[in-house]
Parts: sequence; structure tokens; C-alpha cells
Amino acid sequence: MPNSQLLYWIAVATKMKKKVHSVITTPTEIILESISDGVFTIDSQWHITSFNRAAEEITGISRKEAIGRGCCDVFRSSMCETECSLKRSMETGKPYIGKSGYIIDADGERIPISVSTAVLRDAKGRVIGGAETFRDLSDVEALRRELEGRFRVGDLVSRSPLMQKVFEALPAIAASPSTVLILGDTGTGKEVVAKTIHSLSPRQKGPFIAVNCGALPDTLLESELFGYKKGAFTGAHKDKPGRFAMASGGTLFLDEIGEVSSALQVRLLRVLQERTYEPLGSTRSEATDVRVIAATKTDLAQQTRKGLFREDLYYRINVVRVELPPLRKRKEDIPLLVQKFVDRFNRLQRKTIQGFSAEALSLLMAHDWPGNVRELENVVERAFVICNEGFVEIAHLPEELTTRGVSKRGSSHLEDAHHMIDLQSLRVALDRNNFNREAAAKELGIHKTTLFRRIKKLGIELPKRDGRSRRRTKQ
Amino acid sequence: MELSLPDEIIAFAVWNNRIAPVFDVAHRVCIVNVESGRVIGEREISLEKGTNSQRALRLAELGVHTLVCGAISRQLLATMKAYGIDVVSSVAGECDEVLQAYLTGGVELQGFSIPALRRSHRKSSE
Repeated sequence: MPNSQLLYWIAVATKMKKKVHSVITTPTEIILESISDGVFTIDSQWHITSFNRAAEEITGISRKEAIGRGCCDVFRSSMCETECSLKRSMETGKPYIGKSGYIIDADGERIPISVSTAVLRDAKGRVIGGAETFRDLSDVEALRRELEGRFRVGDLVSRSPLMQKVFEALPAIAASPSTVLILGDTGTGKEVVAKTIHSLSPRQKGPFIAVNCGALPDTLLESELFGYKKGAFTGAHKDKPGRFAMASGGTLFLDEIGEVSSALQVRLLRVLQERTYEPLGSTRSEATDVRVIAATKTDLAQQTRKGLFREDLYYRINVVRVELPPLRKRKEDIPLLVQKFVDRFNRLQRKTIQGFSAEALSLLMAHDWPGNVRELENVVERAFVICNEGFVEIAHLPEELTTRGVSKRGSSHLEDAHHMIDLQSLRVALDRNNFNREAAAKELGIHKTTLFRRIKKLGIELPKRDGRSRRRTKQ
Repeated sequence: MELSLPDEIIAFAVWNNRIAPVFDVAHRVCIVNVESGRVIGEREISLEKGTNSQRALRLAELGVHTLVCGAISRQLLATMKAYGIDVVSSVAGECDEVLQAYLTGGVELQGFSIPALRRSHRKSSE
């Protein structure tokens, strides 16, 4: 039964002015008793005057106890103190439909609910109280969580089919002891994937140690990885364990493995093959018990062909391979990722930002994200600095997202967002079709002349020769 | 025989001079210092939004022994217990009356709680 209809029946029942504890006989009362939504009414002093069977069931408080008490003492919802819909209805005379929150039932369980409220009036139209219906959303919430779980592994969230394949493979990868190679552009979340593999693996209680091989000069990297003995070099006053020793029993994450020098590649190969290494200045080998996860943004196969990366080391680390797609290829994840970051920054910064407005989200969807997930995270973090409450709007986004291709004609934010999406989809279609206008128009499902008109309107610059003429030249 | 209560610090979750309906989202608590069954100090403090642990830690830092509140979720109740704070929950009524009832009758607070249809976790300290 829709909430508005339900509220009507409540009004009818209240006008009958039956005594609170009288026997239920009228059709309206029978309806209110038989429905699964909780319903209660209050008088002008906020005391409960009726409380149906479902309300008893959901709250865990009997009608006998509820009637005559203050509604917030019985209803006990997260909205009572500051967001009471019934109070708003009583103040404005208007109904409010579908406000979400939770109540705490008599067993201390948080029950997610949605509430709708309306005022009750007497025959002369004077407000004599209010009515509230509430729906138990526990099943809906459980379903939502189950669905969300399908899109989440550890700290990773994604709806993308490309990432779903990765998600499906991760538990098996985590369970095996093999070395893993993670491939992906900057900011695609290689370290997050490595941490997830570690947290799902039998080594989860051991340490996770990360080293960025591209950030340290060769000699320093060597001592960082393998450690050194006292007196190994000037300034080595005492033994220092390396990252291999620190990661013992756990996982060692070698980021930017493609940046490692040839000499160090040899040493790494030996560790992976023989599971032993010598700290600098030591004459004795030390055994290592680490699982290595390597990552790179460079094409290691090509590096190997060029002789820049050792082939034997490449095959040694390329046992299990995880490829992370760039964000531009999984844009369906942007809303999910944005919500994840909003939740995180709300927790960290103690804010209550509700999310991104539809227009702001549209701009995010239109962007190419060369910096991938990290860039998106930075955009959300920046928006948190400027936006204090409510929704993040276009005005809270950085210029590179909002000004590129957007006219200065004082258009609305929504227009700007549409403009950006249009611009982006045209650019992508043209790029993909080698600037062949006819093929791009076909891909977009529009006529060639429409494409030309939009190209002109949006001010997109085209190369002198299009894809069609280039093909002809090749022929 | 006169009942002698131990010295203690009690926190009452408050809202509009009444016990706040839900402690999980309550914004203010009244901290009452009691010695030999008499109130020797009283002050109201605000509670920031935060995790269960942050909420419990705030009260623990204030030296609170017992919290008197309306509804409290099972998770937050467990956290309060972990921080050594006793909780008297499902209490409703005017703050002054609840305080008087507490001082004379201890944690039972007869007449200020709402009996449940199902078994409630009213007195967690047991």
C-alpha cells in the first residue's frame, strides 16, 4: 500500500475517535492491523494515541506500553533529535514521504527504516496531531549489502566486468605461494591490490612491506632490500635488517620493479630462485621466507625484448599476473569509488557530506582520468576542503575538470555537465575511429551532418586529413 | 538503614531536559559527580559525531563509571562495556526525575524504563 494511501486511512481511523483500547472492529482498523508497515499516531502533545500490530513487531514494544508515552521514547530513531519528519509535518502541515534512518529495537538491534509522516486534522481543519508510518528495510538493506559485497574485495570496489575478473581470481592468487606481477598505469591501485592479496593470504598475520624501487638510487635500494652488517661501509655502525628480513613471514611488495638496475636484477633473481641472500658486508647467506609481489607501469615484455630487463627475472616474477585496467576503461566504477572516498573522508574529517550532485558526477564521468583512481581520490579530497555540507557541486571541482571545453556564456551547471559529456563522447568516438567522421557518426548513432554540426558547436579541432583520407593514402 | 552509594561519575544522555532517545546519535551528556549519595557537581558536555570507540573513549576520559541513556545499539553497548562503563539503558523521562530516582534507587530506575515485548539488554553491567 503506498504511504500516501496509508496516511489517508490513518486519518479516517483517527476521525472515528474510537477509544484507544477498544476492540478492533472497523474496516480501517482491520486494515491498519493487517499491514506490514508500522503505524502510530500522536496527539498535539506528542503522546502516542495508537500503535498498530506491525509497530509492536518492529519496535519490540507493546501497544499497551507505547500508548500514552512520548513518541521519541518509544520510537527511538536516529532522526528523533534533529531530523524528526513528524515535527516538520506538524510545523508545516505538509506530509513527508520516505525519509531514511534507523530505530533501535528492544533487543538493541539497529533496524533500518523509511518513515512517512502527515498531520491529522479535525472536522474544522485544525491540527490535532500527527501520523507516522514506518517500513522495516532490514531485508532490503541485507540485499544491498550482499550486492555491494559482490562488488567489493578487501579495499577494492568495482562493478566493472574487467575488474570482476580480477576479483574472481584474487582468492586463488592469495591462497597460492607464487610470485605475483601486477601491471597497471600510475594510480590504478597496484599497491591496494597487493595489500588485498596479502590480507586474503595465509600470510595475512605477517607483515606487509612495500618498497618503491623507482624512488631510491641503486646502492641505497640494495641496502634497503638486503640490509647490511656493521662495518660494511663507512657509517655502518651497527647491523641493519633489510626489507626482506622485515617482511619475513609476510609479503614484500616491490613497486616499479621495471626501474631496477641490471646488477640488482641479478641479486633479485637469486633471492627468488634460491630463497637466500647476503646482506651487504656479510659472508653468510640468510634464508628468506617472504612472498614477493612485484608491480610495474611499464611494459616489461617490451623492456625484456629491448634487453633492458632480464628475461630470466621476467619469467620468474611473471608467474601469476594481474592486469589492472585504467579508470577510463571502467568508468562505471566512478560513482562507487566516489562514494567510497566520500565515506572515508567523512569519517576522517568528521563531516557529513552526502555525496556528489548529479551534475558534478556527470563531469567526473566525462573526464579521462590520466592519474586514474588516485587522481579521483585527490579530486574528492579537494572537494572536501571547499565543501562543508550537503552535496559536492561543480563549483567544488578543480578547474581542469570544469573549464576544459566549457563555454563562458553563463550557462547553468547542468548545461555545462551535458556539454562536457557531449564533448568527451565526440572526442572518444573520433579518436577511436582515427578521425573518420563517418565511422564516428555511425558509432554515436547520429547522422554525419549532425556530427559536423556538433563538432562545430563544441569547437573541436580536427586534423586536416580524416581517417578516410588516410586509409586512401595507405591504399 | 541508610543506603550509602559509592562515589561515582554518572553520565546522562540528555536532549531537551529529557533522556535522549538514542545514545548512538545523542549530542549532549550531563556529567554528574556523586559523593555519598549527593550530587557535588554537574556539567553538560557535547559529544562529537564519531565511531563507537570515539564515543566510549570520550566518556572514559571523563572518568564516567555509569551511563544512563535511552536506546543504545548492541554494538555501542559492547564498546562501552569494553571501556569499563556500566550502562543503564532503555530509560525515558525528565532528567531531574531520572537523576533523583537513580540516587535513591540505584540502577533499577523503576518506572522510567519501557518494558519490551522481547527480552531487552536493559542492565548491561550484570
